[in-house]
Amino acid sequence: MNAITPNTPSLPAPVGLLAELTHRCPLRCPYCSNPLELDRRSGELDTATWQRVLTEAAGLGVLHVHLSGGEPTARNDIVEITQTCARLGLYSNLITSGVGGALAKLDALYDAGLDHVQLSVQGVDAANAEKIGGLKNAQPQKLAFAERVTQLGLPLTLNSVIHRGNIHEVEGFIDLAVKLGAKRLEVAHTQYYGWAYVNRAALMPDKAQVDQSIRIVEAARERLKGQLVIDLVVPDYYAKYPKACAGGWGRKLMNVTPAGKVLPCHAAETIKHLEFWYVSDHSLADIWANSPAFTAYRGTDWMKEPCRSCDRREKDWGGCRCQALALAGDAAATDPACSLSPLHTKVRELATEEAAETPPDYVYRTIGSNVDRAAPPPLKEDAPL
Amino acid sequence: MTAPFPTPMTDASQRLLSPEDLEAALRDIGTRRYHNLHPFHRLLHDGKLDKDQVRAWALNRYYYQAMIPVKDAAVLARMEDASLRRVWRQRIVDHDGDAPGDGGIERWLKLAEGVGFRRDYVESTQGILSATRFSVDAYVHFVKERSLLEAIASSLTEMFSPTIISERVAGMLKNYDFITKDTLAYFDKRLTQAPRDAEFAIDYVKQHATTPELQRQAMAALTFKCTVLWTQLDALYFSYVAPGMTPPDAWVPGTGLVAEVAEVAQAAGTGTVRSADVPRLPRGVRLRHDEVRGQHVLLAPERTFDLDANAVAVLSLVDGQSSVRDIAVKLAETFVADPDVIEADVLVMLNDLATKRVLER
Repeated sequence: MNAITPNTPSLPAPVGLLAELTHRCPLRCPYCSNPLELDRRSGELDTATWQRVLTEAAGLGVLHVHLSGGEPTARNDIVEITQTCARLGLYSNLITSGVGGALAKLDALYDAGLDHVQLSVQGVDAANAEKIGGLKNAQPQKLAFAERVTQLGLPLTLNSVIHRGNIHEVEGFIDLAVKLGAKRLEVAHTQYYGWAYVNRAALMPDKAQVDQSIRIVEAARERLKGQLVIDLVVPDYYAKYPKACAGGWGRKLMNVTPAGKVLPCHAAETIKHLEFWYVSDHSLADIWANSPAFTAYRGTDWMKEPCRSCDRREKDWGGCRCQALALAGDAAATDPACSLSPLHTKVRELATEEAAETPPDYVYRTIGSNVDRAAPPPLKEDAPL
Repeated sequence: MTAPFPTPMTDASQRLLSPEDLEAALRDIGTRRYHNLHPFHRLLHDGKLDKDQVRAWALNRYYYQAMIPVKDAAVLARMEDASLRRVWRQRIVDHDGDAPGDGGIERWLKLAEGVGFRRDYVESTQGILSATRFSVDAYVHFVKERSLLEAIASSLTEMFSPTIISERVAGMLKNYDFITKDTLAYFDKRLTQAPRDAEFAIDYVKQHATTPELQRQAMAALTFKCTVLWTQLDALYFSYVAPGMTPPDAWVPGTGLVAEVAEVAQAAGTGTVRSADVPRLPRGVRLRHDEVRGQHVLLAPERTFDLDANAVAVLSLVDGQSSVRDIAVKLAETFVADPDVIEADVLVMLNDLATKRVLER
């Protein structure tokens, strides 16, 4: 175990580690949170390195490990990695698409001590779901996978990313979660980073649809109290205040990419000037305390107005840095999702306008594509939309 | 204005009929066009539909029921004679009731709930077929736009409804084990209401259709109404029987239901935790000591609960063997306190965790 300790006495220890084991995935969702430039299999960390990273994470204070991707079960060593989590007392959460080899490995994962499964569902209607995920015959595989999860007695969370292509199915997602015996449902409106930013015009719902979806969730929460917990993530572009992204920059979470790069959040690589450290060069404790990427926007010192003097600065920590860069062109600006940002009205108008247009075709997620240029440019305060 | 629906161009439409012949001609329309002849109704009454197909019928038909008072209010608004209005307003009362929980719409909701639907889902009408909406709305528009005679004549399908209701109630009770007499309470009332309403309407039509043209209009109005009902069944058949083409957004089996919800809840061991219950932490929920922070935590799906000393004391005794009472008694010994007081606190805490789905019984 590395002896380096955080150099800030008040620095809290991270509670969660998002382990992106691979970027490989049978699905091609147009809102994938992975970066546009995906890591290839040849560059992925080996089993021993992941085991060392997990050991360091446990020592550092991490409690939850999110085994994610891509599709984490695409890794041949997923069972071994899960066993390591169990041995270290780490709570293991499998974030999976449920397709491909996922079902075949599920029983072994259960035996290895897996704690929880989060299954993505793209839609309720199979044809719609498979259009969104870009994979034929995915829906029956997902349903069979979910059935086995609950049969084994593993807690199941369904994760539905909501956008204009499935916002009419919110009620259906709730019914599906109940039918499948899930304990939790995430109704997560799309966050527009990465692939979702490129596909924003194809994904953006209108305000009325968003409001309706919120009403449906609120009614269902009341009705299904004690049976299904529903977590709702509202879309930033229609919000009043931004969300505390990842619980605040460098405060709770670490994200390790398939190649071993450590990020404060999964989208952080879009901020090109940041320097990220690798697990191959530094211990996790060192990275958490000293990596320039983690210290850049930790706390409140980096803030400009209106964040700097805002009462909410330690509630939402200025919102999302990646969104500030994408929309305002400055990663240290107030997240334009915040009503106090000078760009907020423009963001709202932009969303309304995009939602009113005929949606363009999806740009599906693929490894080795060059879609950077398709991403919408930042907004200018004085420029007309 | 040309009639959008074909009118039977028989001799009867070209000469003035006696009131009796007019009634016979109107009844003849029913014998050829009323929806009891529709293949979907035959399947429904003969017990040939599965539960989901019966549900689709109940769900869609709700929209028709819900709009009937709107239709009747539109008719009422066109009546300049108070004595007519006094009679007609009874239809609205029958459907809406005099108070919440009363009336025909309420009884239809009971029917929909009886086959497993959630009331709010049915009332939202978000799962109905667009053809249902179009047909019903066309009916409402019709009575607003056409003459009062035509509006009243269009209600004459009530002359035929006692037959269909008797067939339906008998057939459904006999053929579907999920249908009870209570579920079908809607139709009990209609058996007496419909003939009373129809009697008034047929008298009015016989009295006011005094020229061949007016008589033709009355027959065309009734024909139109028959198509309103027929079209709704066409759409149900097309979507839920054959070829089974369900339009986007229409109800799909497995959604909007409450019955399965209750079954699942029972199976998963959720609900209120009581004194005699044996609580347990399910797979995926773990009590752990966090050495780095020097405290106990409860690890659960996507969340961590920081625990105080009392919570740790309670959860350490949640072993899947001890009841809430046992736990309270043990704690009362340890802390030298009243077990009833402790039990009350323990129940509050455990129920809170159960609501968050991290504790079962």
